[in-house]
Amino acid sequence: MSAQEIRNYTMNFGPQHPAAHGVLRLVLEMDGETVVKADPHIGLLHRATEKLAESKPFNQSIGYMDRLDYVSMMCNEHGYVRAIENLLGIEAPIRAQYIRTMFDEITRILNHLMWIGSNALDLGAMAVFLYAFREREELMDCYEAVSGARMHATYYRPGGVYRDLPSKMPQYNESRWHKGADLKRLNQWREGSMLDFLDAFTDDFPSKVDEYENLLTNNRIWKQRTVDIGIISPEKAQAWGMTGPMLRGSGIEWDLRKKQPYAAYADMDFDIPVGVHGDCYDRYLVRVEEMRQSNRIIKQCVKWLRENPGPVMLSNFKVSPPSREAMKNDMEALIHHFKLFTEGYGVPAGETYAAVEAPKGEFGVYLISDGANKPFRLKVRAPSFVHLSSMDDIVAGHMLPDVVAMIGTYDVVFGEVDR
Amino acid sequence: MSETQTNSLAERLVARFGEVLSKVETVRGETTVEVAAGDLLQVATALRDEPEFDFSELIDICGVDYLGYGQNEWETTSVSGAGFSRGVRGEATGRFDWEGRPRNVEMERRFASVVHLLSIRHNKRLRIRTYCDDDALPLVPSLVALWPVANWFERESFDLYGIVYDGHPDLRRILTDYGFVGRPFRKDFPLIGNVEMRYDPDKKRVVYEPVTSVVPRVLVPRVIRDDVDLQQAKAEAADHWQEN
Amino acid sequence: MSRITSYFKSLLLIEMFKGMGLTLRYMFKPKYTMRFPMEHIPKSNRFRGLHALRRYANGEERCIACKLCEAVCPALAITIDSAPRESDGQRRTTRYDIDLFKCIYCGFCEESCPVDSIVETSIHEYHFEQRGENVVTKQQLLAIGDRYEQDIAADRAQDAAYR
Repeated sequence: MSAQEIRNYTMNFGPQHPAAHGVLRLVLEMDGETVVKADPHIGLLHRATEKLAESKPFNQSIGYMDRLDYVSMMCNEHGYVRAIENLLGIEAPIRAQYIRTMFDEITRILNHLMWIGSNALDLGAMAVFLYAFREREELMDCYEAVSGARMHATYYRPGGVYRDLPSKMPQYNESRWHKGADLKRLNQWREGSMLDFLDAFTDDFPSKVDEYENLLTNNRIWKQRTVDIGIISPEKAQAWGMTGPMLRGSGIEWDLRKKQPYAAYADMDFDIPVGVHGDCYDRYLVRVEEMRQSNRIIKQCVKWLRENPGPVMLSNFKVSPPSREAMKNDMEALIHHFKLFTEGYGVPAGETYAAVEAPKGEFGVYLISDGANKPFRLKVRAPSFVHLSSMDDIVAGHMLPDVVAMIGTYDVVFGEVDR
Repeated sequence: MSETQTNSLAERLVARFGEVLSKVETVRGETTVEVAAGDLLQVATALRDEPEFDFSELIDICGVDYLGYGQNEWETTSVSGAGFSRGVRGEATGRFDWEGRPRNVEMERRFASVVHLLSIRHNKRLRIRTYCDDDALPLVPSLVALWPVANWFERESFDLYGIVYDGHPDLRRILTDYGFVGRPFRKDFPLIGNVEMRYDPDKKRVVYEPVTSVVPRVLVPRVIRDDVDLQQAKAEAADHWQEN
Repeated sequence: MSRITSYFKSLLLIEMFKGMGLTLRYMFKPKYTMRFPMEHIPKSNRFRGLHALRRYANGEERCIACKLCEAVCPALAITIDSAPRESDGQRRTTRYDIDLFKCIYCGFCEESCPVDSIVETSIHEYHFEQRGENVVTKQQLLAIGDRYEQDIAADRAQDAAYR
């Protein structure tokens, strides 16, 4: 028998691979079925958001923050808006803080639902994806009811939020297929205000999480694909700058909502779940538990918001526009309106770093202002970017299918990796 | 632990490093230090390893181009017939194309690399700024050996600003296209870019050409006002709206 | 003991049957989906969709060419030219183009408009068939406004207290 030479070979994964979660191009050096080296090529979605922001007044970039991590829209806005508020030295009214807290948690559930669905789909389970999108639909209805857009809300503003919560939830219309008792069932939650709707949702949601867990947590295929895959030790997690569920999955109890509270998180009662082994399965459990905790927070916010009406925007015409009625009846208000929508507001010179606990990890905004009405430099610290950079270190030595499990557990979104 | 330490982070930093830090300040609870490029590695190693600081996580590295800092495009000192037009000329981001870009700019300490650290044990953050000595070849020591996460951040900063990280194992472009020319986030690089891409049906391949499909268009000038006074505005708003 | 029970649970595929039971139950539950385009999911009165330019009740166009929307548009999607109108010398737009490929539907134009002229209607089903149709002109925008004026006014009235 003659000797045969066996060589490593390189393989191109993506950028059009359905499990690549967008436009990740992964150049893998393979030894048979085992990965020796992984080199992610990113930047295929690079839009230079940070440079674009330098060319427009502060407020105009809020909408672009939604488009960074496009499954956790309002959390990104929150980071950006907080940075501006820091430099301006203003604080949103308490009701706005609660609304922000509530929508941050809605966003967290939205993100984790997207994650659980797509990760399960990557690893071979179809049904979870469909069920997760059903609940996403309800929450995106809340996004729409409050801001007018199902995803890219542009709802948070420096000094508060744009509008108060609506007193009516949009309802289903009668049609040939849905009428009578059927229509009544569909509109059951939608009879009252948005808060009533959310209250009903939070009562129901834990049972839905049970359903996902029923499909995944003990499922042998799911466990075979995730248990002991991609183990990250606590030391490694810190060296790689991991935050959010990636860090908590490795057993480090670190959550900005608890450790450096912002908005109304200091008043909220919730727990931080942590993992033990730091493998994909632990991170799955952490995220599932986070959904339950977010549900708890939303419930507390709903209760508070019901009892405490009030302003949702700072009454300061250098930052927030006057109401439309005032603008139409008062010359001074009209001048402020024009000034604010053309020139915007100047932000005192200085620099700040504002971070929020986005669903994927620490979403930070480093903002340098030179006193102008436009940012001088805006740097977005995107959790996905950081997590993905550890790919080579974590994945080396794993099998090819585990790379897919790993991309899934990183929860990467290319809107924010490439910015 | 941080509870037992009575001194602030800034004081402890001064006590430990002294003259090495050219500037230490705490604004709004955020501590910033400035370090010369030559001292960065030594300071960073101490910050990571000494239990007093224990900055176990590197949160962010970002390049900054200080060209045009404080530039005002629209100065009006008095009300005039011409004073209220938005059609001003300037050189801020987005105003010029590749041909009209500012050239031969000279500026002291133009590039900086800013590092954000986080100590999980002490729940503290720290910002370290390092100015590059030479504008033509901005050079900063790499932190990859201390925190592996620095790898991509430094590649990004190199890609977008051309800051060279000395000692980086794999300093390639990361975000821009394969074969990209220029440092896109520098202030003298046009916002609309230098080349655009389209499919050429004759050549049957994708071709790169100078940008023609977009023109520089900035509708709001960059304005710096020295009378930014939010407190006054707040008072105005308050007493005015109670009348109505 | 627990090892034995988990062994038998594993052997008997308990968790698999539980999961399948769940999916099976859903086969008999009412469907969650809607028969689009025959029926629609609920739409908020704040929805931000296709743009329109409105008129006053007497037929006069509202827009006064103040160009606030042009200045506030983050995507630079709006282009306005203005000139005094020939009949009465009033300041009016001669060109009002919105490039819908650039538009990011942030709603800032509507927020900024001092005369409630430019609005984002709740129309979300529209398409283009030719290159260049993505730029909607003043005439088209006014036509959309005329056609849906009742819906637009009703949506705005509902939300008036919040703005």
